Amino acid sequence: MGVTYLESVVLYLLKTIKGERTIYSLYHLFQGKRSSQTIQDAHLYQITPYFQVFPSVTRESLERMVKSLRDRNLVKEAAESKVIVTEYGMETLERSLKEKPLPVFMNGWKYHQTTEPFWERLTLLVQVCSNLVHHESSYIPVRNKKDTLFWVKQYISKQGINRYILAERLYMELASALDHENTRPELVVLRLTGYKKIGLTITQAAEMAGLEPSHYHFEFLNTLHAMLDTVLEKASDYPLLSGLVSQGEREVPLTLSTDKTYGLIQKGYSLEEIAAARNLKQSTIEDHVVEIVLSIKGFNIDAYVSPEKQKKILQAARDNSARKLKQIKERVSDATYFEIRLVMAKYGEEQWN
Amino acid sequence: MELKGYLNGFFKFDDFRPGQQETIESVLTESHTIAMLPTGTGKSLCYQLPGYLLDGAILVVSPLLSLMQDQVEQMMAMGEKRVIALNSFLTPQQKAKALTELERYKFIFISPEMLGMDFVLASLRKLKISLFVVDEAHCISQWGYDFRPDYLRLGELRQQIGQPLTLALTATAAREVRADIAEKLCLDQWKEVVYSVDRPTISMVIEHADTFQEKLERTVELVKFLQGPGIVYFSSKKIAEQAAAYMRENGVRKVMAYHGGLDSESRILIQQQFINGQLDVVCATSAFGMGINKENVRFVIHFHMPLQIESYLQEIGRAARDGKDSTAILIYSPGDEQLAFQLAEGELPDRYQIERLFAYLKDHKLGYKELAQYTEDLIRICGFTEIQWRIVEEYLSSLSHTDLDLDSHSLIQMIERRLAVKNGKVRKMIEYVHAQECKRSVILKAFNEKPEKRPEYCCSICGVDMDHYKKMEPGDNEMLIKLDWKQDLASILLLSERIK
Repeated sequence: MGVTYLESVVLYLLKTIKGERTIYSLYHLFQGKRSSQTIQDAHLYQITPYFQVFPSVTRESLERMVKSLRDRNLVKEAAESKVIVTEYGMETLERSLKEKPLPVFMNGWKYHQTTEPFWERLTLLVQVCSNLVHHESSYIPVRNKKDTLFWVKQYISKQGINRYILAERLYMELASALDHENTRPELVVLRLTGYKKIGLTITQAAEMAGLEPSHYHFEFLNTLHAMLDTVLEKASDYPLLSGLVSQGEREVPLTLSTDKTYGLIQKGYSLEEIAAARNLKQSTIEDHVVEIVLSIKGFNIDAYVSPEKQKKILQAARDNSARKLKQIKERVSDATYFEIRLVMAKYGEEQWN
Repeated sequence: MELKGYLNGFFKFDDFRPGQQETIESVLTESHTIAMLPTGTGKSLCYQLPGYLLDGAILVVSPLLSLMQDQVEQMMAMGEKRVIALNSFLTPQQKAKALTELERYKFIFISPEMLGMDFVLASLRKLKISLFVVDEAHCISQWGYDFRPDYLRLGELRQQIGQPLTLALTATAAREVRADIAEKLCLDQWKEVVYSVDRPTISMVIEHADTFQEKLERTVELVKFLQGPGIVYFSSKKIAEQAAAYMRENGVRKVMAYHGGLDSESRILIQQQFINGQLDVVCATSAFGMGINKENVRFVIHFHMPLQIESYLQEIGRAARDGKDSTAILIYSPGDEQLAFQLAEGELPDRYQIERLFAYLKDHKLGYKELAQYTEDLIRICGFTEIQWRIVEEYLSSLSHTDLDLDSHSLIQMIERRLAVKNGKVRKMIEYVHAQECKRSVILKAFNEKPEKRPEYCCSICGVDMDHYKKMEPGDNEMLIKLDWKQDLASILLLSERIK
């Protein structure tokens, strides 16, 4: 028996976390919960592409899906709220992925802040340009957020070029940026609204493409993110499109509270001092540091873990594929959990696996 | 210049619709005016045109946020930039900014709760308000089907901003409701412009179905047979979705469901697709249609009956705006009455919810001013729906002082009165469905009107030949799936002569 696309994604993720985390960790991942735990796990298991890619998921719907997977013997319970994929589940997953592969360009972690505003601005810009070249000034904008409307209006006037050139340039950039192997640009184009042509809703576009809605959703994100890769890599070739991505949104920002901690660290304060000054628990500040390590490449952790100890921890981690802090701690008894988490956050992806 | 000249100059229309000219003339001679104009006659023009002729701002009170938003967007789409909506959609910063530069705006839309705020009133008092418009004015009357407690203060607020010239607009208000409107707004003298609720170009048909399934099948049959575009109204989001899916499975291609549960992008797109002719049919809840200007709606089907004749008229009135013959079909099946009574009751909070609310207020020593802060808690603790909560909040925030025991009692009484009114409205609706005399005359009687000339296509009692509404062009021009996305993109962004 086959699985739906969404089920195959969930199966793949369950396979990756190997029953070491609860099914709710997937819920937080899909939701894009900005907690140190979720962010750290996403890096640890290399499932960052799935960060915040499915915010409409509910706890109940995930529970229902896992239950259905279990009823069909695709997964089995390992512990409370934890499941592992059965052999049959593995086979089914493999078959399903051969036919409908996972989205390879989708990158939730990198683009979770960018996607929504980019898409809002893009759809509005396309609609405005289309109506401009057709000299139509009376139409209802597809976006009703005041901020977006204002932003796009400013953006167009800032270009300072005539309407025909603007629309043509937008066309050229889109036609080139969307032209990407292993993506499906038509899924994006179907949604665009122009002069006397209203774009399709997600439901309609999925139906038109003959895909189940969640499959459509992932393919859509995959195509959009591949386009963002192209646009941001060669921003000078795509001045109009890259301009739709605000500077602040290009890098993964820290959560507000972590950002404050980061500021204080840079001023040279110790973690104890920061905890005291901010009236927060030391463990909270430690969570912040882990998040900083995950988000800011090149952040040096030597001040918190001696290079010597880092080596020891890494060694223990390599020998130990279960990735449980506890097991590492047993091997490196003089290391604290905080130190282990820092090392894992820093080297997790390249060296660990 | 004559009024028509202005009409053409500002709006590019050649002629007024019924009632518009009389209403505008009445306003321009500085008479307070209550205008009852049937839906689809362009009520907003009655204040927009005077807006361009009068010196000063037009202040429009509107009860529904979505309606207000639609109106503002439409005016902006027409190129009017001096228009703003003051409502809870604005952030505090946007609000503060708007209030300091109010004199920049010609048309100010405002929700009743905003109007009741002291700092808003203070800003408004500095303005020259040439016309005070109360939209959906029947909401002010307890006899109206859509009474809103926060409308009760409008009379007092109107005095506070210097008793400006006033225009009350409504689509459906029987005589006693109109008198009530004048009284509540504290108008001593006023003119009434009353147009018949009758829409002779819309035939009124009642059909019977024995079961839900039969009703569903009949609906699909009708949708396939009738010339579109059309709207099918449901009282449940879920059934609207199911019916749309069922229609698609059964060969109706261009159909979508529309209801308040959709995300805002989908709502905009579906609405615009319908207006643009990309959809033939919308399976909708009553959330659909307000503020939509589509001239050529040819049929309106009611899968569920509305809770009052007033809503029914409003909904069928979305058809035939271009003056061409259209039909309104209500399909009744046994048990629909109970559903209607249940829905009517469910819109109001019950006694136990109110008692629980007041117990909580007492225990926590909360005043009515603090209600907003505790909204979430109170909704959860008392199990209010959004609509129920709105009624409670509107009522309590309209009270000037607090006496928990007294107010609890008076709120429960108010609700019981409302329920009696609502049940009465449902009964009238049911009577209409079952009436064995001309349907049109039943409706006209409900509004104290005498039937005049009976149109050729009148109602199912007088007899209607449904072939008159049969689909003209059979094979609908199906939207082709172009495989070439680049070509699609080009057709959106480039003029056709530029596409190679």
